[in-house]
Amino acid sequence: MPHDRTYGYDMPYYDWSPISTRPLLQWPHQERVALSILLSIDHYQWKPTNTFNNGGMPGSLPSTAYKSPQAPGGVSGSGRPFPDVIAFGQREYGPRVGVFRVMKLLDKYGIKPTIAIDAMSAENYPYLVNLFKDRGCEFVAHGIASNQMITSLMSPEEERDYILRSLEAITKATGDSPRGWMGPEFGESERTTAILADEGLDYVCDWPNDDQPHPMKTPTGDLYSLPVNLTLQDLKSHWYARIHIDTYAKMITDSFDVLYKEGSTNGRTLVLNFHPWLMGTGFRSKYLDMVLGHISKHQGVWNASTGEIIDYCRTQ
Amino acid sequence: MLEPDLSVYAPIVDRPKMQWPENARVALWVAPNVEYVDYIPAPNDGKGGFFRQVHTRTPSPDVAQFGNHDYGNRVCFWRMLEVFDHHNVKCTISLNEAVLQQFPEIVDAMVKRDYDFMSHGIYNNRFLNLLSIEEERAFFQDCKETLKRYTGKELKGMLTPAVSPSANTHDLMAEAGLIYNADWGHDDQPFPMKVKSGRLISMPYNLDLNDGTFNRFGLPPEYWAQCVKDQFDVMYAEGADNAKQLCLSLHPALIGHPSRIKYLDEVLGYMLSHEGVWQTTADEMAEYYMANYYDSMVSHLEKTSYA
Repeated sequence: MPHDRTYGYDMPYYDWSPISTRPLLQWPHQERVALSILLSIDHYQWKPTNTFNNGGMPGSLPSTAYKSPQAPGGVSGSGRPFPDVIAFGQREYGPRVGVFRVMKLLDKYGIKPTIAIDAMSAENYPYLVNLFKDRGCEFVAHGIASNQMITSLMSPEEERDYILRSLEAITKATGDSPRGWMGPEFGESERTTAILADEGLDYVCDWPNDDQPHPMKTPTGDLYSLPVNLTLQDLKSHWYARIHIDTYAKMITDSFDVLYKEGSTNGRTLVLNFHPWLMGTGFRSKYLDMVLGHISKHQGVWNASTGEIIDYCRTQ
Repeated sequence: MLEPDLSVYAPIVDRPKMQWPENARVALWVAPNVEYVDYIPAPNDGKGGFFRQVHTRTPSPDVAQFGNHDYGNRVCFWRMLEVFDHHNVKCTISLNEAVLQQFPEIVDAMVKRDYDFMSHGIYNNRFLNLLSIEEERAFFQDCKETLKRYTGKELKGMLTPAVSPSANTHDLMAEAGLIYNADWGHDDQPFPMKVKSGRLISMPYNLDLNDGTFNRFGLPPEYWAQCVKDQFDVMYAEGADNAKQLCLSLHPALIGHPSRIKYLDEVLGYMLSHEGVWQTTADEMAEYYMANYYDSMVSHLEKTSYA
């Protein structure tokens, strides 16, 4: 749909709405900030069948649909023939070690996370699924594997199959249908939001466009967008952009302070997306501790699951 | 079954706890990579391995890149040794074994200090995972024999060249009598790997706090030192309950550079000032693990299903 230089977007899913003029948002008990810690429990697939365009080098895989230039692996990512053992080992550190360090810190501050889990993790780490279920955590569907990203290069059938395969695996493993969706690397085609609505998803976390949730409309139904704060995501700022870990932590606490101040008049969300394989490593966990400690010192923060935030917004 | 199916998933909180000798909390192994990269790497012929493209700036040779590696062996290695000697560190040298034949003074310096050797292949720019099984089997024999001939030591383990294990690597390592592979950065402790016969463990080498990783992303050395000290603090705190290992992975041309050397001194001084640190080598840790934990871990994994 080419842009025709008229009011609003060349994009069908939501309306233009600057935060300066929209109705004020009040959280259930006049909290200033609704906080969700969204943990990505993701699996780095050893040999993704259709992920990378790796230039036809020895050991290469077919060049097809879903390719993330950022996710490491294959010849394209690291200069190594596939598979990328370095990337695999670092990411496998999450379910083996890192996740328990992260959970211990969340417990220390009494924070319950929401779990964005992909199909391969749900199928292969029942120990972790049970751990999160025992704590009453909500599960958000997080695609199939961290190195399988949805893009517009997928055919409509491929894309719907991908989404269904993810939803089915997570439903089977957790016993509940996930209500929310966050694609690996926030990957979407121009169809994705409509497919998610059609498949009954209640909200999507792929669009990091706001400090508040907002409704979305599609030809196949309505849903909500719950924006993740992309700049504060560990992968984007600390891992890919290599911002120093202490500076990264300060970016989070500084952002929290701003949202906390603004939230006294108009409620804000802060959805922090962390990866246990990353923030659960030894030296990084120290800074996660500082971040959570800073936030926990404040009154008026609603620690909610992503679904609880959406439920509340639907009543307003 | 989760590929590559080379080890079993086991959460660290639900395994038999480990203790190091004398109840040390942290086993610290210091692993400098003593390497050689060809002036003009052989072309890729589709046989005999695929060569990592090390010269990315110009067609080979790239004398700036070659020279900078060479600076590591000619100068920075020796500067680094002074710091290790000052702190009485026994290194685990991650060794491109061509160095044994090329640079005898380096060999003498390492042997004189009784360092241990984790093979890092013959050269760092030959991938293992495109060799045939016969070629790879011969590669392990070469690595064993070359190490023995020049250092008198038995080969116990390897960090595969450029971290490139094939589907056969683990079986061939065990077959050749190696007891550990350092390729998997997946854990804070050694862990059994699946092999067809014999016994092999993973000895996680650290690519995350590696001076090469910091250099590649332009991260300053004082930041590296802070991250290492932070890592140590967490391992040390946790190691009181369940023993941890910390791998200090280094490259002479980087950490031995005049701009970085003082940070090596700083982190070693910091870590070794603590009680309960076992400054050891990968060989010693692997042998200790084999003698004390391998069987109990395997039997725990047989009794417990996490999948």
